[in-house]
This record gives sequence, C-alpha cells and structure tokens, in this order.
Amino acid sequence: MTRMIRKSLLILWLSGMISMGSVPQAMAQDDLLQMLEQEQSKEPIYTIATFKASRLINGQTIETVSKNHLNFWISHRFGAVNSGFLANFFGLDEAKIRLGLEYGLTDNWLIGAGRSSLEKTYDFYTKYKVLRQSNKFPVTITGVGGWAINTMETGYVMESGSEMRFNDNLERYSYWGQVLIARKFNENLSLQIMPTYLHYNKVEDPSIANDLLALGIGGRYKLTKRFTLSGEYYHSFADPGGYEASTGKAYPYHDAISIGVDIETGGHVFQLHFTNSRGMVEKHFIGQTVGAWEKGDIFYGFNIARTFSFDKGAKNKDK
Amino acid sequence: MKLKTGILTVIFVLQFGIGKAQTLFGTTSGEVSFYSDTPLETIEATNKKTGSIINSSTREIAVQMKITDFVFPNRLMQEHFNENYLESEKYPNAIFKGKIKETVDLTAPGTYPVSAEGSMTIHGVNQPVTVKGTIVSSGSDLKLNFKFQVKPEEYKVEIPSLVITKIAEVIDVSGTMTLTKR
Repeated sequence: MTRMIRKSLLILWLSGMISMGSVPQAMAQDDLLQMLEQEQSKEPIYTIATFKASRLINGQTIETVSKNHLNFWISHRFGAVNSGFLANFFGLDEAKIRLGLEYGLTDNWLIGAGRSSLEKTYDFYTKYKVLRQSNKFPVTITGVGGWAINTMETGYVMESGSEMRFNDNLERYSYWGQVLIARKFNENLSLQIMPTYLHYNKVEDPSIANDLLALGIGGRYKLTKRFTLSGEYYHSFADPGGYEASTGKAYPYHDAISIGVDIETGGHVFQLHFTNSRGMVEKHFIGQTVGAWEKGDIFYGFNIARTFSFDKGAKNKDK
Repeated sequence: MKLKTGILTVIFVLQFGIGKAQTLFGTTSGEVSFYSDTPLETIEATNKKTGSIINSSTREIAVQMKITDFVFPNRLMQEHFNENYLESEKYPNAIFKGKIKETVDLTAPGTYPVSAEGSMTIHGVNQPVTVKGTIVSSGSDLKLNFKFQVKPEEYKVEIPSLVITKIAEVIDVSGTMTLTKR
C-alpha cells in the first residue's frame, strides 16, 4: 500500500516537474529574439534599388515608379564631340531634346509619354514589373510595351540620308516590346538583359525588314553611395548585307553603345553619358543609331529625373 | 489514504501553478514611427510590422523590426533611407532587448508606467539605452506605449552635408503595440 502511494507520489512529482519544464522558466532575451525571428521571417525580403532610375541611359530599367509618384525626365543629346570647336563648340551648340513624364498607377505599373525633337516623335509606353527579386527569387522581370509616332513632314530626310515619305498616318507609327531581366548581385553591381522586338510600319528601304529583333545588355556599378557607373549596349539583328546588295550603299545603322554616370541628389537623379545615339526612343536608338564610336560620332548627353509624390501623406512635407 | 492523495494533488497543483506564472505576451504587428522635423523638411515613417515579446515573469522584453518595413509617404525617400542611410541590405533589422526595471506583475490588470533598460541595435551599432513607456494590462493583453529620441550620429548613420539642414539631429521615435497572451 505504502509502495503504491510512493509510486503515485513519484509520478505526480515527476508530472509536476515536466509541466514546469514545459513552460519556460527563465527565458533569456536572446531566446525571445529567436522566437521573434521565427515569427517574422516568413515574408520574402524584396530587393530594392536595383537601379537608380527607371532609365539606364537611353533604354529602360526594370525599375518602375511608385504608386502616385510622377517622374519628370529632361534629356539632352548634344552634337557630335568631333564636330569642331569653332563650328559647333564640340557639339554643345545644338541638342536633341526629349521631355517625358512617367506616372505610377501602382507600385509595379507605370505609364509614360514623351516628346523628342529627333524626328518630332511622340512616344507612349507602359511598364509592368511582373516578378521581383527577393531572398526567394533571383531576378526581377519587367515587361515594356510602347508606341511611337513620327510627326515630321512627309518627304523629310532622315539622319541616315534617306528620304522618308508617308502615304498615311498609320505609316508614321512604330511599336516596341521588351522583356527586361535584371539581377542585383550585390550592393554595387546590377546587370540587366533586354530582349527587344521592334516593328516599323514604314521603313526607308524595302530591303530593311519591318520587324527587328535586338538584344541589349546593361549594368551599373556603384562607386560610392550616390555615384554610379553605368553602361548599355543594344545589338540589333538587322540584315546589313541585304541592304548593301539592294542599294549598293553601306548599311547606315550601328549598335548603340553608351557609358555614363548617375549622380543622385535627393529628389533628383542626374545621368551624364557618352553615346553614339542621339535618339532617346527605342525605335531610334535600338534600330536607327547612325553614329559609330570608331568614327568619333560620340554624343555627350544627360538625363535629369525629378520625382514628385502625389501621395496624400506627402503633401506639404517639402517646405 | 484520501488525505495523502489530497496533499499530493495540492503539491502537484502548486508546482503547476508556479509554472503557469511564466507568461509570454507577443505581437508581430506593433507600430513604430519616427519623426524628423526641420524648417526645411518634415520626414515621417511608420513600421506596422514590428515584432515584440514580453516575458511577464522575468520582465524581459525584446523588440525587432525590419528597416524595409518603414513606409514613407515619399517612396523615393524610402528608397534613399534604406539604400543610403540605414543600409538595410547590410543591416536589415533594428533590435531592442532589455528588462523592465520596475517590479510589476503585468498579468494583473492595471496601468504601469515603466522603463526598460537594455541595448538598442540600429545600423549594426549597439548602444545602451533606457526607454520609458506605459503598459496597460487587461490581464490577457498588454498595451504598450513608448517614446524616445535617437541621434543618427550615435548609430553611425551618415548624413551628407548637402541634406544636413533637412534631417533633424535628434529624431523622435514613438511606438504603440498590443501584445496578446501566448
């Protein structure tokens, strides 16, 4: 009998001890932190600021504008640096200008429009961030679609020297689509590839195809927190041989190569660069770049981006 | 026999009771805001995903938040805050761990003005701090309110001379969170 009591006492005592043990007696602060960590780390951590701006140099980056934010772009491409001091002040006497606006409908979706003085071109485009790089996904993928309208008088002479005649307004249109894939490898290095499809409703010579495929690569390397090196190269899969055979002239267009720097000062991003393209719309710089680096057709240019927030809470904050 | 069993049951219940006094309160949706005001610019941001745990028996408290969860009305500012100032890819979290100095029983309903002594880690820099606040306990919930000030300089947050007039030297931080019994 006493044995039984002892046994049950032991069991009770043990179960009491176990119940005590199951509730943390003296929880160290680090254990509390570990518990927090476990509760919080479920959401993916998205990579931010792969690039400084929504444009790399001439082309687009995977970055979009935040919801209810407006970007105002002012871009200039001056004359060729080899155009002489007296004649053209190394190109600074003249410039091709593009003014553009971009608005974020959501954090991942923007609409944009611009007007270039080159071939008096209007461009409209939309950009959507489909997938975002995070600690669970390696790249950001953004899709771009655009439409450009050439409003020059019919019969004007293009940069390539060809004469362009429009029989109707439809012939003034061109379209482009891009899939931008970028990865931020570390704080400083981000790289992007840009498979591109372009369609010109009207081309200057029948030997040039209306459809053009191109592949771009670009990237940036941050030298300091606010100073970044950037580069961009678009290779177009055109058919120069066909053009030469049909016209007897050399193919007038080259691949666009650009290098530059980004300087960030709060609400502005300044992009200064050298490029062989004076076009700032995809139809121009990807398909119709007339300059060649090896000939010294290098154009100095800049883009300035100013961001405005139309978010409710941001009103009257900029005193 | 019956008496003995009774005594044993009491012992068991007592042991169990002691164990149960160790109560954890926690949340993952606490709100922490900071506010910087200068004649040139007002900067405000809120983090609504702050995690916190309080152990009411040891009176230990831990708070942790992701820097990227701070939401600014101006997203460009948010990007700069993460990329250039707090460097949130290198230092993703801000952490406070400490102990409530006053001997209060937080499981008993009431309002307790308290101060927590411990260490704060922001931007990878550790600083000893004491944070004052109020805890309102309903027995099952703890409502936490606190306010303190932070100098960016103390946590090695570099502010370039160009914007030095736009960012306050002392930044007000305040928080509200409701911790529920676990």
